[in-house]
Amino acid sequence: MGDFEPRIVAFLCNWCAYAGADLAGVSRLQYPPSIRTVRVMCSGRVDPMFVLEAFKDGCDGVLVAG
Amino acid sequence: MFDIAGIGKDRLHLAWVSSAEAQRFVEVVTTATESVKAQGKFDPKAFSFELAAAEMTLAGETLRWMVGKEVKITTQGDVYGRKWDTVSFETILDAVLEREYQKNLIYQAVKEGYTSVRDINEKIGLDLKRISYLLADLEKTNKVGFTGMKDRIPVFAVL
Repeated sequence: MGDFEPRIVAFLCNWCAYAGADLAGVSRLQYPPSIRTVRVMCSGRVDPMFVLEAFKDGCDGVLVAG
Repeated sequence: MFDIAGIGKDRLHLAWVSSAEAQRFVEVVTTATESVKAQGKFDPKAFSFELAAAEMTLAGETLRWMVGKEVKITTQGDVYGRKWDTVSFETILDAVLEREYQKNLIYQAVKEGYTSVRDINEKIGLDLKRISYLLADLEKTNKVGFTGMKDRIPVFAVL
């Protein structure tokens, strides 16, 4: 396995990180294409079960950003 | 718990990014990607026991009760009026977490047909004494039962 691109599930808070990600897009900032975004209304909404479920479905990492 | 399960806490990242901080978001995603890349690919099949045990631990009442009591015990004190600092509370929480996780790992092993203490030990690598001790606990809560002897080896099954 040489240069693999990890699959990371990112739980982003609607009001903070999601808007940050949006702004990053608008300002044309480059970031790795490894994340799969899930928008949540608050990062407090993320249950530890979600994280486990993501790993069970075979993602390589999880990022919770609020 | 990810560390106890051998999945490694470096696969899980938590960060605070405000809506105005696009640059910070890029940094966070880049560091997370680099760190997960360093860990390599994750194979859920190789960790099916660990994931199932972790799921049971999170769904179980013990951990939820402990977490729910944290604020009360560290600010107002326990039922004896003793106050605990966060560090000592978390030490206890970690011990409870590890014990619950190990119990659930044993439960998973028995469920999948590793029915003797030695079989369980070979499958999950926990030491024999610890396994018998936790099995006794699982018996008390009616999760696992002793079904009889086979070639002078006690055999267990999930209830």
